[in-house]
Amino acid sequence: MSTFEVDAKGMQCPGPIVEVFKTMNKAKPGDLINDEVTDFGFKVDIKVWCKKTCNELVSIAENGNVIKATLNKA
Amino acid sequence: MRYDVLIIGGVAAGTKIAAKTRREDLDCSIGLFTEDDDISYAGCGLPYYLGGIIQTRRQLVVRKPEQLKELNNVDVMVKQQVRAIDPEAHTVEVLDLESGESRTVGYGKLALATGARSLRPPIPGIEMEGIHTLRSVQDADTILALISEDAIGHVVIVGGGFIGIEVAENFAERGIECTVVEMLPQILPPFEEEIAKHLEKHLRANKVTVLTGAKVEGFEGEGGRVTKVKTTKGVIRTDFVLLSIGVTPNSELAKNIGLELGLRNTIKADPSGRTSHPDIFTAGDCTGTRHVITGKEAWIPMGSTANKQGRVAALTLTGSHDEFPGTLGTTVVKVFDLFAGRTGLGMKEARDAGFDPVSCMVTTKDKAHYYPGAEPISITLIAEKGTGRLLGGQIYGRGVVDKPIDALVVALSLGAKVENLSKMDFAYAPPFSTAINPLNLAATVLVNKMSGKMQGIGSLDLHERLLDPDWSGLVLDIREIPEYTISAIPGSVNIPFTELESRITEIAGYKDKEIALICGLGRRAFEGYLRLRKHGFVKAMLLEGGLKAWPYEVE
Repeated sequence: MSTFEVDAKGMQCPGPIVEVFKTMNKAKPGDLINDEVTDFGFKVDIKVWCKKTCNELVSIAENGNVIKATLNKA
Repeated sequence: MRYDVLIIGGVAAGTKIAAKTRREDLDCSIGLFTEDDDISYAGCGLPYYLGGIIQTRRQLVVRKPEQLKELNNVDVMVKQQVRAIDPEAHTVEVLDLESGESRTVGYGKLALATGARSLRPPIPGIEMEGIHTLRSVQDADTILALISEDAIGHVVIVGGGFIGIEVAENFAERGIECTVVEMLPQILPPFEEEIAKHLEKHLRANKVTVLTGAKVEGFEGEGGRVTKVKTTKGVIRTDFVLLSIGVTPNSELAKNIGLELGLRNTIKADPSGRTSHPDIFTAGDCTGTRHVITGKEAWIPMGSTANKQGRVAALTLTGSHDEFPGTLGTTVVKVFDLFAGRTGLGMKEARDAGFDPVSCMVTTKDKAHYYPGAEPISITLIAEKGTGRLLGGQIYGRGVVDKPIDALVVALSLGAKVENLSKMDFAYAPPFSTAINPLNLAATVLVNKMSGKMQGIGSLDLHERLLDPDWSGLVLDIREIPEYTISAIPGSVNIPFTELESRITEIAGYKDKEIALICGLGRRAFEGYLRLRKHGFVKAMLLEGGLKAWPYEVE
């Protein structure tokens, strides 16, 4: 199992979700993907995207202006 | 008793006439009669008074009778109903609503600022208890008393106009369940349908039930108290009804003495506020005016218009010359945290007035996209084909809408063309606006559309095509794959912009068919559009305003 880091801070929509998508394509099932994003539209987007793609949103939290999310590839 | 200047009505226009008349003439005697308990109250603030945003009655009542006496030496007489005017004798007959006594009062000049009243159509059961209107501070106090007794659990608001929607928000904010019943197919009819649809969706998202295309057929109750509203879309159980169907001008006094009436029974006035009688003047909600764009008779009663008309009437009756140029029908409304404003003509109004209009919608941010708090706004500009003259504009979004609307008001008032608007030097710094100002941008896109450099399609028209089984076109979403996964128009296909040219053979069958290009805001779609045109897709077009402005279903 590997862990990937996505730093999409400063990127605006659709940058962050596209970065996550690209990284997910590189990852294997069971891998973790940690994302750091400053575009707040990402909060809703990532929830819907995980649900629709059956990937697990392990955690999502706001830390100041940064949204930190962890995904588990299905 | 005789007054040099006698005013009937004491809300916005009446008190404005009184104060301005005094400023023009420090010596004349001025009297003002009103049926109300209050004068000079902010009627437009009443929904927010119901919601508790404005907490005390005093905040809404701008001036008390004694203040108008002290500051402007105006004799204000409340709870006095003027029953008749004798224009020959220059007298009015006044009934004291408290004592029941009548008296005759003389005047030199008479100003009618009688306002308008809420409509109460003859619907079966309308006389029942629990069916209210909202026009005066007393109306609001009555409703507030019921709220504080916890007597209102559910409200039906009949009429989805500005007041109805503002009241719905304020009831909902108090935790009272709310159903808005609108007879027309959309709420807020002065807005274009696609904008009204967004506002409707937003009301629903805030737990307000909205029924459009629903006519109220009757009220039913128990023990004389309303419990049910029967509509063409079903029966609604409720314990309170607010009628906000609209208003009608209080022009009976004028009609009875043969003054000329205009559109919808308003008192007809020239731009200076003169009626058809040389010593009688009029201003405010009872008064007809003209539309700035069409030049035709118009009646769009607003507090902002009443104040300006009042000032003009006061100048006229004291011997100066001034004119009120008319209305643009400018309004702005807050629907929870979504805002919408409009000015000038809508598409249908423009067509009805004989123009050949063209419109374009553009979605952008109200501030620099990187500045905290930047929010989207969608701007619809309407112009006359050929001349490029601006006819109207409508803006909605979570961002600032009133600033660009007011800029449009200036542009429309001065007869600007779209081309002018595309290059006006608007204020810019990141906390306030964008380097390509939203109005500059919207005007540029409309210029492109008018000159044939861009072909666009609005949400409404695309939605109609999607519902048409004979439509042979394609909805092509050119956003990136994950964006498309998150939400897309049902039936659309996805080719990301970055792959568009390499995968063009996949859509080769649509070269002579309509292709609607979709992206988030409309920018990428324009880039895609240019490439499809280069490859010979002659009927390519882009969804104006992008998916952000699409008010219909997504999946």
